[in-house]
Amino acid sequence: MIECPSCGHQHRPGTLFCSECGVYLLTGGPLRTEPLPESDLPSSRADPWESGEALAQAEAQAESTIVIVPPSGRQLTLPAEGEAVLGRLDATRGVFPNIDLTPEGGLEGGVSRRHARIHRQKSQYFIEDLGSANGTFLNGQRLTPYLPHPLHDSDELQLGRVRIRVNVK
Amino acid sequence: MRDEPDYYATLKVLPDATADEIKHAYRQLARQAHPDARAEAGTSLLFRQIQEAYEVLGDPAKRAAYDRRQADAGRSPQAVFQWRMQPSRATLPVLPDEQVLYVLFDIAAGQASNRSSRIPLNVCLVLDRSTSMQGARLDQTKAAAQRMIDSLTGDDTLGIVSFSDKAEVVWPSQLLTDPIKARARVSAIQASGGTEILQGLNTGLQELDKNRQKYSINHLILLTDGQTYGDEEKCLVVAVEAKRRHIGISTMGIGEDWNDTLLDALASRSGGVSQYIASTGEIQHFLRERLQGLGAVYGDNLRLTLKMTNGVRIRNAFKLSPYIQRIERDGETLILGPLQSDTPISGMLELVVGPHTAGDHRLAQAELSGDVPARQMADAVLRQDLTFTFEPDANANTTAPPSVLSALAKITIFQMQEGAWQALEKGDVANATHRLETMATRLLDMGEHQLARAALLEAGRLARSGNLSPAGRKAIKYGTRSLLLAPTKDK
Repeated sequence: MIECPSCGHQHRPGTLFCSECGVYLLTGGPLRTEPLPESDLPSSRADPWESGEALAQAEAQAESTIVIVPPSGRQLTLPAEGEAVLGRLDATRGVFPNIDLTPEGGLEGGVSRRHARIHRQKSQYFIEDLGSANGTFLNGQRLTPYLPHPLHDSDELQLGRVRIRVNVK
Repeated sequence: MRDEPDYYATLKVLPDATADEIKHAYRQLARQAHPDARAEAGTSLLFRQIQEAYEVLGDPAKRAAYDRRQADAGRSPQAVFQWRMQPSRATLPVLPDEQVLYVLFDIAAGQASNRSSRIPLNVCLVLDRSTSMQGARLDQTKAAAQRMIDSLTGDDTLGIVSFSDKAEVVWPSQLLTDPIKARARVSAIQASGGTEILQGLNTGLQELDKNRQKYSINHLILLTDGQTYGDEEKCLVVAVEAKRRHIGISTMGIGEDWNDTLLDALASRSGGVSQYIASTGEIQHFLRERLQGLGAVYGDNLRLTLKMTNGVRIRNAFKLSPYIQRIERDGETLILGPLQSDTPISGMLELVVGPHTAGDHRLAQAELSGDVPARQMADAVLRQDLTFTFEPDANANTTAPPSVLSALAKITIFQMQEGAWQALEKGDVANATHRLETMATRLLDMGEHQLARAALLEAGRLARSGNLSPAGRKAIKYGTRSLLLAPTKDK
């Protein structure tokens, strides 16, 4: 039997929601993303101008693919449409990011449910912070929310405390 | 002779697929399912099934013979229904105890469904004209009935019955060739007397019977605003009998004082829908919507039979469209009712699975059957196996596909609401209050602020007075069952 972390009711294995209190049993319900202490995160900020220049320069080139590698080392390929939301799955609230970072320590690492978005314009990939609680960092620099920044091969992304390597091929 | 599996379904192609399409589908599926190509097990059985299907369908002579055998066995080779089953997980862990498995299913009209031609309708309106309907309620009902007369064509038959403590035929069931006269008769309806739903139902069904044909859509639409007096049980018997005669009953409750349990049961037992009409202005809208729904009926009397193997049982079965409701069951058969060409039927099964050894196991054999009136076809049958691989080291906590999760999140709220009413019926006010409060919290999480407020309001009222307001109860009940209809942001 498995126990509901919220109300303690017992359920058969495989049950996904607690029938008593409605909590999603695999994560224990709608858990908040707690703000991390400032000292845990890099303090420098990315240059917002870079965004506009790269957007203007993006040109049609040969198709490229992007693979992102979280701490666990599993390789995540973007969906075919070249766009993905990175975040933390929360079934109770109906949030289903394309790339769920819960198994990568997303909750403790301060990852928001909808944390950041990777998208492609022409052949260039961009990363955009979606107003997350703890910020998105590109090579150690904090991104201005909702402003897309270009992504290059071997860039390092940091969502809250979770570090992700980017490979563009 | 053993029934042959549906090879077209195995290869996920339509029965009229070309040889090239079949070859392409086979290659793609075989690549995906090849035991060497996928790390997780459970693919070997699927791979064998794909091979078997292609051996037959890939060979023109064998395929023709298979099609003939299928046709002889009463199964048309055309795609009558499209049917998909999506389980909450692909592989199951080997456990010493029972475990839960969810299966989401969708049934849609087959590719061959013709959306342009509508089957003639045989409809009877049964209108409450008791004293309480006097004023805006009756006026709006009459206006809605007249609108309905205008929207039907000369091929449809319509009857109109009004009732109070007795019923009278306002407009005898007939082909709608004289709409002006029919409208005039509706205008003359006057309010007086009590409410006896049974009287109205019986007279309405008699009218429908006059023009009932095997392949027509026969439907009774009941509009009422009040409680019926002591004939609830008899009404339900009549609903079951109506279903046997291929007549569906849809019910619309106006205001707050009607018996929601009765009206819901009348609809669900006969394959109709029930509707809560909070303000009289909505009567026209819902009546029009219902008529459109009836006009779009493609399949009728759909049933899903699950032949479970040992140690497997259904714990809960919900239909998700047009709103969340428990599926009526007849033993192993789930009664799904009519299928509209524009809206698939989707549902969720919660299965309890007993201990199994490692390896492939068939948990159930599912059989879908239904009539297709427009194609004069009765009892078209499709079959699917629910086969799963059990693995000793499969992770017990695996995330389910988003479609399953998002449906389950809403079903859970619906069940919490059911639990609150059940607690209240047993007189456990504290428990009911607690359930409503927890439900409100979940609704807030989901961003359903209005419904959450309604639940909190009723929880407060319950805690103070031990009673609910009829309006609050209906708002919560019909609000939670319609949660799936609300647009979700992440889609």
